Amino acid sequence: MTQLLPQHRGNACRLASCGMLLGPIWPTHVCSAPCLEEKQEASQHSPALLAGLGNDIVLRKLSELQAGERCCVVGTLFKSMQLQPSILQEISEEHNLVPQPPLPKYIQPSDELMLEDELQRIKLEGAIDVQRLVTGTIMAVYGCEQDDGRFLVEDHCFAGLPPALPWNGPSSDRFVLLASGLGLGSVSGEALLSTQLLVDVVTGQLGAEGEQSCAAHITRVILAGNLLSQNTQSRDTINKAKYLTKKMQAASVEAVKMLDEILLQLCTSVPVDVMPGEFDPTNYTLPQQPLHRCMLPLASAYATLRLVTNPYQASLDGVRFLGTSGQNISDIFKYSSMDDYLEILEWTLLAGHISPTAPDTLGCYPFYKSDPFILTECPHVYFCGNAPHFQSKLLQGKEGQRVLLVTVPDFSATQTACLVNLRDLTCQPITFSGFGADSEDGDMEVGH
Amino acid sequence: MELRGQGFLIQVVCWVFSLFQVTYKWLSYTLGVHVNQAKQMLYDYVERKRKENSGAQLHVTYLVAGNLLQNGHVCHKVAVVREDKLEAVKSKLATLASVHVYSIQKALLKDSSPLYNTDYDIVKSNLQHCRPAKARCAPRAPPQSTQGPREPGATGTANGHGPAAARAPPQQHRGIAGMFAARAAAKGQDTPRESKAEAREAPGVSAASSKPPTKNSIMNNFFGKAALNKLKANSVPEQPKEEKEVVKPSVAVAEPESSPNSVAEKPGKKAESAGIQQEDKKSKTKRADRSDDEEERDPENVKKKRKRIKQLQSDSSDDEDVPPSPTPEEERAPSPAPAPAPKAELEPASAEVSAAGRKRKRKRVLKSKMFIDEEEGCMVTEKVYESESCTDSEDEFCKPKAPAPHKQPLLPTKREPKEERKNLKKGAAPANRANKQVSIMGFFQKK
Repeated sequence: MTQLLPQHRGNACRLASCGMLLGPIWPTHVCSAPCLEEKQEASQHSPALLAGLGNDIVLRKLSELQAGERCCVVGTLFKSMQLQPSILQEISEEHNLVPQPPLPKYIQPSDELMLEDELQRIKLEGAIDVQRLVTGTIMAVYGCEQDDGRFLVEDHCFAGLPPALPWNGPSSDRFVLLASGLGLGSVSGEALLSTQLLVDVVTGQLGAEGEQSCAAHITRVILAGNLLSQNTQSRDTINKAKYLTKKMQAASVEAVKMLDEILLQLCTSVPVDVMPGEFDPTNYTLPQQPLHRCMLPLASAYATLRLVTNPYQASLDGVRFLGTSGQNISDIFKYSSMDDYLEILEWTLLAGHISPTAPDTLGCYPFYKSDPFILTECPHVYFCGNAPHFQSKLLQGKEGQRVLLVTVPDFSATQTACLVNLRDLTCQPITFSGFGADSEDGDMEVGH
Repeated sequence: MELRGQGFLIQVVCWVFSLFQVTYKWLSYTLGVHVNQAKQMLYDYVERKRKENSGAQLHVTYLVAGNLLQNGHVCHKVAVVREDKLEAVKSKLATLASVHVYSIQKALLKDSSPLYNTDYDIVKSNLQHCRPAKARCAPRAPPQSTQGPREPGATGTANGHGPAAARAPPQQHRGIAGMFAARAAAKGQDTPRESKAEAREAPGVSAASSKPPTKNSIMNNFFGKAALNKLKANSVPEQPKEEKEVVKPSVAVAEPESSPNSVAEKPGKKAESAGIQQEDKKSKTKRADRSDDEEERDPENVKKKRKRIKQLQSDSSDDEDVPPSPTPEEERAPSPAPAPAPKAELEPASAEVSAAGRKRKRKRVLKSKMFIDEEEGCMVTEKVYESESCTDSEDEFCKPKAPAPHKQPLLPTKREPKEERKNLKKGAAPANRANKQVSIMGFFQKK
């Protein structure tokens, strides 16, 4: 029987929330409310963007388009991809399709972009990078409709950086440690010593006096998802006979116990915010709910343990943090030609939406009235977890926005965490290593 | 720390060095010193040993921390390195933040995982030592408490039951006694039995079935044998259902009482449940046989009940006095009037079964229990089935533990638990009572 792969559920959600079927066009008022805010944003920007072309830019709805007239249209993008896993196709008996294995990227040259607004959709072509864009982006396009019904794009723009937040940062050095992908419960134990070293540094046991006093300035630790390893996601028990699996314990049980002990050590010294990730025992759809405190009996005794959602937004010492565990970025990575996590991160900020591909390809709760993933204010630190490498960039906006973009690397693979200095919004990676049988220069080669 | 003290501690280090390795963290936890001090002690020890050239090969690992430039980033690096690699690593770092001894071991380490294991073990053992006393350790939420509204009187006791049920029987007795006390039921037999049944996640039927038999016994007195026979006929089809429902909770709930073969906490109840389970397996003809048995016993019952009508009436009034408790049970009873007959039927059957199936040769004897009912200020005598067996000692043992919080101090405590145990099985209370003539020696049974 075909298994309902998680990524395919997104399709169903998409259908529900956007009301667009591959066939008839359903009334789109369902999706218009959340999109409207963004569209208003985009529509405000488009005249500004295209001011260079003249002030007489006409903003039209798709239904009002006239062939040959140059105008600006605001709408949601939809990219129809051939390789996109579709749950409808998979369960369709006519096609007898075997579910395709997950690919790293689903883009193909034959993909097409469509712009949808409340009532209609139109195919886009022209000066627009089809490969780069993903479904769900709100954008404004400038061009004209052609005779064959397609829209020839001359220019396009996004919502742009959201308005800036006032800066209330600290005046002395304060650090926040960002780590993700601890990957507990994995079969290999190489990262365990590194995890222990991380805990020791944060709790001030490791290092000489100078190091310890630096560690004393760490005011928060944020664990951005994937605390458990993917190995704990064993689904075999579903297929096995009950009598075989009766005494078996899920791998995640042991891993959560280890996590509890690690968190206990951390919580005794520093406040810890724990975000769930893709492989953590919480719900699948975004926004992921916090891990339940009953799973962490030792650590929950401390008030310094904060179990938070994914995505997570908080003000730490006057600095606004916003970040996810990386599912949004990796999903865009799969459906776009963009390869760099930092680039994707920046692009989501410019597009004004944390996760445009949800709920199309990424599971998401079908929000009806308002979309909480729309960026209304510009955070000071914007991070995503479980990236392949550490990268960071300070983005300056036109209206004085200053955003530190950080891609937090996967700790189980890279043994690297990030230290963000709240005073000047700088970020430094910190790498931990032990020595293995082959060590020599292996220690030095970790990281980027 | 003065040198002498350090020397002493270093001796300790030597002593503990019989272990494979000593990490700074291990030392710190074991000796109760600051980590920096432990590191210093390790360093001193290494120095001393090296100076002495005692020939004992010491392998030291160091922790190196510093900054290095990588891909244009200033990357902070923290590494545990072996002694031989120390200089190499240090040279690669642009700035050196700290170097200190991480651990000492006797043999060369190929891998850093033993270091992790040592640290993990010591941290774990330390975690247990200094775990804060949590007020959060709430008593196990009883499964029953989530089951919807229970009788207010029994709720507290159900809560006491829940964990008790999961735990050892002695606590159950306590809970039962508490429940019994809280209910202040005249029917020492019935109501505790009912509450206990409730507490056991049994569907209301089980509770109800124990309750209605009480009523039926009264009805029998009024309507006579004819009615009794009719009720019996009605109850026979109902009984399988009830029995099934009793079986289900008793099977599902892993409690000593419910499992028929476990320790005889409530031998009576257990025998009953065993009987019930066995009955389920038996065919309907068997049930017909039992109904025959029942008929034989009914005259007995009727007779007995007629004799003791006054007490029963007082019991029933007591029942009404305990308002909330019976009502929900009754509401839940699908069959509002299962006859006592099924219960009577159960008793002999279970007696047979118990005799047959038990290894412990438990005999069910009808005994007369007398207790003082505070509400009415009267003495109530009830006949209950008790199992006497070689394992009675366990039952007897547990009973005294069951506290009767506010209940009659006059009343011998042991009676209540026994009665409550009786109530565990939803065996018919009146049926138990009314069946056999009990010798006075029951009073002096080994408890």
